[in-house]
Order: sequence, then structure tokens, then C-alpha cells
Amino acid sequence: MSAGRLDFATHQSTQFVDLTDRIRDEVERSGLRTGRVHLQSLHTTVGLAVNENEPLLHRDFQTMLERIAPTGAGYEHDDFTRRFDIAVDEPVNGHAHCRQLLLSAFLTLLVEDGRLVLGRWQSVFAVELDGPRHRELALQLEGEFARPRRNEMPESLVEVELTRQLMVDPDPIAAPMRRLVEAGGKRLRPKLVQLTAGIGPRNDPLRAAELAAAVELLHNATLIHDDYVDESTHRRGRPTVAAAEGPERAIAVGDYYFAKATRLIAEMGNPAVTSQVAQALEAICASQIDDVALRGAYPGDRESYLRVIRGKTASLFAAACASGALLSEATPEVVGALRRYGDLLGTAFQMADDMVDFSPSSGKPVGLDIRQRVLSLPLIYAAEDREVGPEVRRLLEGALGDAEVGRVTELVTASGALPRVRKEADALIEEAVRELESVELDGLRPVLVGLARSAVDRTS
Amino acid sequence: MSVQLLDRELDRLEGLWSDGLSEAYRDYLDAVQRFDPDLQPRLALAAALIELGIRLQGLGGRAAPPTTLLVGDLCLARGSRILADNAPLAVQVAFAKAVESMSTAAASEQPAPPVRSLLRLSLEAEG
Repeated sequence: MSAGRLDFATHQSTQFVDLTDRIRDEVERSGLRTGRVHLQSLHTTVGLAVNENEPLLHRDFQTMLERIAPTGAGYEHDDFTRRFDIAVDEPVNGHAHCRQLLLSAFLTLLVEDGRLVLGRWQSVFAVELDGPRHRELALQLEGEFARPRRNEMPESLVEVELTRQLMVDPDPIAAPMRRLVEAGGKRLRPKLVQLTAGIGPRNDPLRAAELAAAVELLHNATLIHDDYVDESTHRRGRPTVAAAEGPERAIAVGDYYFAKATRLIAEMGNPAVTSQVAQALEAICASQIDDVALRGAYPGDRESYLRVIRGKTASLFAAACASGALLSEATPEVVGALRRYGDLLGTAFQMADDMVDFSPSSGKPVGLDIRQRVLSLPLIYAAEDREVGPEVRRLLEGALGDAEVGRVTELVTASGALPRVRKEADALIEEAVRELESVELDGLRPVLVGLARSAVDRTS
Repeated sequence: MSVQLLDRELDRLEGLWSDGLSEAYRDYLDAVQRFDPDLQPRLALAAALIELGIRLQGLGGRAAPPTTLLVGDLCLARGSRILADNAPLAVQVAFAKAVESMSTAAASEQPAPPVRSLLRLSLEAEG
């Protein structure tokens, strides 16, 4: 069942308003395949009719209505001296009420194969009998609706859910988060939730969107605290919450959405899903501590780097994949394979993200990670390089002004570190793809493979 | 609480045990008597970690320095994970709502109820 309202304005006292195209749009939007559309006039001087859209015919109808119920023919309804509780602007419209009696206030139209069933010359009209006015019709669609195809992600559902959640929160909390969410982001984690939630037998797009939105809120909450820790001034082209509103507000907003996202997930009533996400959140927080600790030995080594990014980035990718699959009641084998896929994808994604810092065409400021001493695999490889390594290490030990950051960027680019990281990220993606080969994914494998490959293709 | 459980759940947070965590833990033990004996130490530890996490972060007061904030975040996350794995749904939801209300008060620069009384109340939540 789907329901709504159709509103329209009229400009003449009697007017035939053709609503056929608007009803067709409603049918298409709703996905109704076979069933009925019910229309009901919400007014006593608007009728409904199915007839031909031909202007001269409309004049004939109008003449007929005028003949049967002429304007100003001494209707008792228009004798205000005999009526009670009449509004100051009560119209003299007995004729319009009488004419409405000749029409209908209700209409049912049939839908077959997703199309409104109408004869060649038939159109659907609202007949205004006492205009001009703003009018409203109630609309209900019932029957068999098309289920979203599993490979088609209703991404808008996540955006609607995010908007809905942010709308109900108190403004001092919601406004900074709304700015961050509206600024964009790739929404990879919610996409993974939605995709994997379509794999098991319990495929419920609305529940999947709720989980996906909660995961995205959780991710954004971690970013808000990260930005304070990293002293970042901008994210997604806008001032960070800490920079715009101060660290106290940033901590409060981050905490609120940690808690709220956790609650929304718990309230879905699937303990395995709650546990997956809670474990990921713990891994993220533990890795943040490691990340900051490693900055003392900047740029660090590959092993430490991998440990940090698996916790900081890959854990939520893995949890997104596993929790979506768990929500759809997929088999443990499928959940396990998707969890490993998410872990490998998240690791590769972070490596690709590191490379963006050295790409002038990425749209992000080059060298920002270096300036903020963020762990970065290209930098680790460049620092280990026999030729450029000594200079990179020497520069990183000192203060990092524009000149030093520029020079480090040049050295990393010249060292061959970037192709090496790219190759490593590609190998992880291929490994992630192999994880999908051993399990039945109900036709979703190509989508997951495509998403994985595009996630690391981010340098341009 | 078994030594193994304590060791595992205090990984990276060992220093906090003598810095307020053990006192809070003992106090919450008193508030978890209605639960299965096996769950009592876990739930008391979860509550103590969440309380300490909020204090370390400086929520509602002056913001903690970044490194302290991260330790506070880990306390909150670990407390939440222990709740997710052990607490009834009503208790999980009550804890989350308690943190939401404290965060809202902090963001609005309004006074919040004392953390401990709010969390003790959350432990009493029933579905």
C-alpha cells in the first residue's frame, strides 16, 4: 500500500484539470505492478471524472452543468439568514454543490504491468466547480509492488534515513553533524551494508537502510574526534566541527553519535550485528591510539602501518559487510567471506587514500598527510628507499613547512613508492575478489567486484 | 572478576585501574546484583569504563587533550562492546540514551545529571 496527496490550483470557476500524467507518475514512482489507484476528492465542490480531454467537449459539459444546476437559481444553501456557523467568507455556491452531486467524489483506476489501464480517449479529471482555489485529492495505491532488484541499491533510502535521524536530534548536536553529512563523502560503508544485506533470504531494504545510515553516522562520529586529534581545519571542503565550534562541541557531537548509532543498531534486535559493529568501533579507537603513538617514530614501518589501518579503516569495512549479511540471515560461510572481503577492501582503500595525498589531480591539497604526520605507506616506502630515503627521513625529522612538504612530495613521487603501493593495493583487491568466489552470492558478485576495483582507483 | 577477563578487558587501559576505574567498578558491582553472577563483573566493568571514558574526554567541561581523548574514546568503545556482548537490550539502550543526554547537555552548555547516578539508573532498565 502506498498513499499520498495530489494538490493543484485552479484558475476558473469551472475547470477540468487533467491529472492523468501525474497519476501515471505516481504509479511509476511507487513501483505498483498490478493493482488499483484510488482517488478521493477532499472537497464538496470538486468532482472526479474519466472522459475525453477535448476543449469543446468540456464546454458542452459546462453548459450541461449550468443547465441542470444554474448559477444563482435561488438555492436554499445560499440563504445565509437561515444558516448557522457560516464563515465570513462563505461563498454563494449552492449551484457548485448541486453540480458535484452529478459527478463522483471517488474514483478507482486499474493498473496492469505497471501501467494505468485507460482507453485510448480516456483521461482522468478533477472537475473544479467553485474555483479558483487550491485543491487536494487523497491518493492510495494498492496491489503488488515491484521489489527492488538486489543489484539495484536504493541509495536514496540511506540519505532519507540520515536526514530523518538528524532531523529528530537536538539542534546543537545535529547541526554540526548535518553539515558534515551534507558535505558528501563516498558513502562506501553504507553501500557495502546495503549490498550485503541483499544476499541472504531476509532481504529488507528499509532495515538495510537503517543499518547503513547508523554505520555512516558512526563513521562520521569517529571523523569528528579524529579531526580534533589531528588538528585538521577542513574536511570535505568545509571547516571541521572542532575548528568551527571548538573541541568541547566536537567531543559532545562525536559522543552523541557514537551512542546514538550504537543504540539504533541495538534496537534492530540482531545481537550478532550489534556485536560486529561494537567490535569494529573498539578496533578503531585502539588503532587511533597506536596511530598517534607511532607519530613519534614517523613515518614508521609497513608492519605497524598495516596494524593501524586494519583497525582504523578496514575494521568498519569488514563490519559493514558482515553486518549487512547477518541482517539478511546469510549463512556463516557467506558472512565470513564477506567479512574478509571487507577487511581486504578497507586495507586497499586506505592505501589508495594515502596515494591521493601525492596526486595534484585529486582535488585535495597535496602533502596534507605529510604536514599532519599521518601514517602513509608511500612515505614509509620512500623513507626505506636507498636513494631518496636518507633525505626523506632527514626532512621528516625537522619542522615541516611548505618547502619541506613540497620536497618530500617530490622525493616520494620520484622514488617509485607510489606504483609499489598501487600494486600492493591492487593485489589486495584481487585477494578480496577471490574471497567471493567460494560462496553463493545470489548474483551480487559482479557488483561487489566492481565496487572493490573502483574503490582503489582514486588517484584521478 | 577473573584475572584473565580483567587482563583482556583492560588491554591498553591497565593504568586506569588504579586511577579511578577500580573504585567505580566496585561501586557498580553493587548495582548489578539482579543479573546472573557471571554477568555482574562484566556489566560493572562496562559501566565503570563508560563513566571513566566520559570523565577522561572532559565531556561537559574543558576538552581533554587529544591523547587523553583517545583513551576516553577507547574506554567508551570497550564499555559499549562489553554491553553489546553481555547486557540485555534494554540496558544497552538505556546506556546509549544516557550518553546521548549527557552529550546533548554538554553541547547545549547545560548541566547534566551526575554520570554515576545516570549509569546506575541505566543498569536498572528493563525491557
